[in-house]
Amino acid sequence: MAELDKAMQELDDLFASAREAPRHLPDHLNKAILADAVTARSEAAVAEPAVKPVVLQRQGFWRQLLLAVGGLPTIGGFAVACAAGVWIGLEPPSFLPDPAQLVGYSDSTSVPYDSYDLAVMLGEEVQ
Amino acid sequence: MGPLLMGEPDPTLSDDALLVLYANGDGRAAQELTGRLAPRCLGVAMRVLGNRAEAEDVTQEAMMRLWRMGPNWQPGQAQLSTWLYRVTMNLCIDLKRRQKGGYVDLDAVPEPEDTARSAAEQIQDGTRHDALQAALMQLPERQRQAVVLRHIEELANPEIAGIMDISIEAVESLTARGKRALAAVLANKRQELGYNDG
Repeated sequence: MAELDKAMQELDDLFASAREAPRHLPDHLNKAILADAVTARSEAAVAEPAVKPVVLQRQGFWRQLLLAVGGLPTIGGFAVACAAGVWIGLEPPSFLPDPAQLVGYSDSTSVPYDSYDLAVMLGEEVQ
Repeated sequence: MGPLLMGEPDPTLSDDALLVLYANGDGRAAQELTGRLAPRCLGVAMRVLGNRAEAEDVTQEAMMRLWRMGPNWQPGQAQLSTWLYRVTMNLCIDLKRRQKGGYVDLDAVPEPEDTARSAAEQIQDGTRHDALQAALMQLPERQRQAVVLRHIEELANPEIAGIMDISIEAVESLTARGKRALAAVLANKRQELGYNDG
């Protein structure tokens, strides 16, 4: 155990001595590194265009149409409006006024019956 | 973008700030960064590779990567020196893999220049440094890297873990095993290194 401790202590002394050794950068390496710095900066300057070029892309008909009407949000709103229209037309909620009354009929339920009766009567006459 | 400005570097700025200045065309920042970082990079590469010429090549390549990375560096994201240590270690590993085993160039190991010490003491120090380097070269690659970063560069374990891309526990294990192995190698040379048993 004492031997190991002594060896470790000597190793620590060696590390300390290695740390204290001066670190000298040779002149030729210093010059080469600084020359590389100039080269790398020149390469970067060439790679950075002064004005970013505008990329023109040809777009298809549907793409142009979509953009013309306002894009996907517009299409989404249009679809919701259509669905609401169909719903109100087929099964209108109770709080809405009867559209048949708005155009002069007393009751929308009588309109198809009247029309049906008229069609049956006319059909019988033809026979 | 014009040529790099040259002149006296500013020693008060951080590494991050210097790199930003360099990316904006300030050559003085490149000089200061080279003075700060390249000797450390060279020292580590020398210890890990055991060969001066190879260590200089690795240092030049690591610094070139620093210059090229300059415009994209995010200040504050990481320590620039940590990034450079990591690049240096990876370059050393790549070089060793290409060589399929390195060799020890003891003449390449820098010796301390201490004029206050006697010639005999300086020779003994040189002998001990050579022995340390020779012992380091007997360690497995990763152990050697961890020992050099911990005991010669005096980096903290978390920083070494970041450089080597391993856990802190793995760093502790590598340095402990490496140090024991070094002590065992050097124990056989105590007499020739001038260590007395007293």
